[in-house]
Amino acid sequence: MTDNNVLLRVDNLVKHFPIMRGIFQKQVGAVRAVDDISFEVKRGETLGLVGESGCGKSTAGRTILQLYRATSGSVNFDGVDLGTLRGEELRKTRRKMQMIFQDPYASLNPRMTVGEIVREPLLVHGVTSDAEAYERVKQLLELVRLNPAFSTRYPHEFSGGQRQRIGIARALALQPSFIVCDEPISALDVSIQAQVVNLLEELQEKFGLTYLFIAHDLSMVRHISDRVAVMYLGVMVELATRDELYNNPLHPYTQALLSAVPIPDPVKESTRTRTILVGDVPSPANPPSGCRFRTRCPIAEAVCAESRPEFREIKPGHFVACFFAERFL
Amino acid sequence: MPEPLLDVQGLETTFKTSEGTVHAVNGVSFDLREGETLGVVGESGCGKSVTMLSLLGLIPSPPGKVVTGSAKFFNQDLLKMSRDEIRAIRGSQIAMVFQDPMTSLNPVLTVGRQLVEPLMLHLGMTKKQAEDRAAELLEMVNIPKARERLGDYPHQFSGGMRQRVMIAMAISCSPQLLIADEPTTALDVTIQAQITDLVKRLRAELGMSIIWITHDLGVVAGLAQRVMVMYGGYIIEEAPVNELFANPSHPYTIGLIGSLPRVDIGEQQRLISVEGVPPLLLEKPKHCPFAPRCKWVMEKCWNENPVLEPVAPEHRVACWADVKKERPR
Repeated sequence: MTDNNVLLRVDNLVKHFPIMRGIFQKQVGAVRAVDDISFEVKRGETLGLVGESGCGKSTAGRTILQLYRATSGSVNFDGVDLGTLRGEELRKTRRKMQMIFQDPYASLNPRMTVGEIVREPLLVHGVTSDAEAYERVKQLLELVRLNPAFSTRYPHEFSGGQRQRIGIARALALQPSFIVCDEPISALDVSIQAQVVNLLEELQEKFGLTYLFIAHDLSMVRHISDRVAVMYLGVMVELATRDELYNNPLHPYTQALLSAVPIPDPVKESTRTRTILVGDVPSPANPPSGCRFRTRCPIAEAVCAESRPEFREIKPGHFVACFFAERFL
Repeated sequence: MPEPLLDVQGLETTFKTSEGTVHAVNGVSFDLREGETLGVVGESGCGKSVTMLSLLGLIPSPPGKVVTGSAKFFNQDLLKMSRDEIRAIRGSQIAMVFQDPMTSLNPVLTVGRQLVEPLMLHLGMTKKQAEDRAAELLEMVNIPKARERLGDYPHQFSGGMRQRVMIAMAISCSPQLLIADEPTTALDVTIQAQITDLVKRLRAELGMSIIWITHDLGVVAGLAQRVMVMYGGYIIEEAPVNELFANPSHPYTIGLIGSLPRVDIGEQQRLISVEGVPPLLLEKPKHCPFAPRCKWVMEKCWNENPVLEPVAPEHRVACWADVKKERPR
């Protein structure tokens, strides 16, 4: 496929983590963190990737960036199959794809000054001289609305929101075209979340960035995304444009997930009917046969245990993995 | 008007730290009626948890200290009680559920043992009676195969299940008041919905009053009858839930509601962000604690700290400005 609009194409991506046991570390099983997902990200869009803890959304993000090597499947970035790249070639491609991490405390080296942190990618990739790097750091800090005078300070002197800005400045240093935002706001207070999200939106407009926005907060994902994908226990269950997904969810899991989100409006809350799922998410080391969601699904039938529902395009641009999705059309 | 169940006046709590005295709670007064659910909303460090811990004598001292105030519960002042007196009330008449169920359960004792203990201690049951009651309690919080699970240890339960066990423990002595401190914050959204649903059911069955501490306005909208918003160790707004969401009157409350994306609304503008960061409280503020972040700040705000004044029936706000009319009150 040579669709020029597609920046990233993920085909049948699988990432299993081996479970080892005994003194010989024999492999006795695998955590099937990501189990065959396929999707595309278009140039300049924000694709939201949502799901609950342990659904594999962060693993998917990291495997796409080749921070983990995929067990099988391919990741095609700007026409290049990343899985085939090694060493220097991969490093060069990495310039174009960056990541913003969830925890602004763990993702900044406490022994480096803010200036050093933001400058490091420039030096590692040898794109600028020292003098230019200094100028560039100043620009980057201004871009994320931090005072450039702060570049000699250490991360502990900053609040969570400010630290997240430092992480964003670092991610932008190499002028990437694609950024994986892995729960960038979930560690922040509500009033600070809006500051960071507004900044991300502004930067996207300015530089034409493409985001893969990983989050568990469905309200924020609705706000920031153009299209949204929902994951459950290592598989993708639904993918559609933002309003289509939120207005006409076709997978029973998406429906339950949306109905569980509290709405900050007491009048609406009091009249709402909820689908409350029973039980917990099963272990990804031993997922249910057939459809992964069948153990908690309100409409599951015998067929759901037998075979895995195909992730199919039920209407243009709306993908769903459920045998009975037609019922909700 | 009937006597309130709980009447707190002028509560102040401080902590001694290496950087100076932190004024965590700065004169908080509120009441709670029988059968009422009060939501307490605010961001990290606003004093919402410390307020409730102070009432129950759970502030570690030193470094913490309840400086002044009174808290009448059934005409007894909780703050003047001896250790033994407050211990007799804690767990029996007032129960508490915390954010992280793993750290509040003893990992080396079975869940059954932990449930049985308070029943024998506070209610004087025999071991047999207590075990029957414990199984009943687990059933009440929807734990399947309740009797068999009494012999299990906390790590054998999932996060949502552990929080159910905590709730079972909290309601075991039929308390008049349940204080829940961010009990769903660590949980996934579908599990959060299960827990809030459970609490609503138990509230109706047992007729207890609830104080629900959270940073999530969405949860409050669905659960509370009255809401108190805290900032910098003060209550800055207090109103019945519908009134608060329909007519937020403090600039901080307005900012907080505006900074929330909505899962139920499609096209949205930029989020309204509250610029700046919350105060450190190393000094007891002499001005309005929100003044440095406020869009409507005036001269007077820097000279005098506003006190809670009624603006509508049961609606009190601590602000010098009439934000809607864009003029001083």
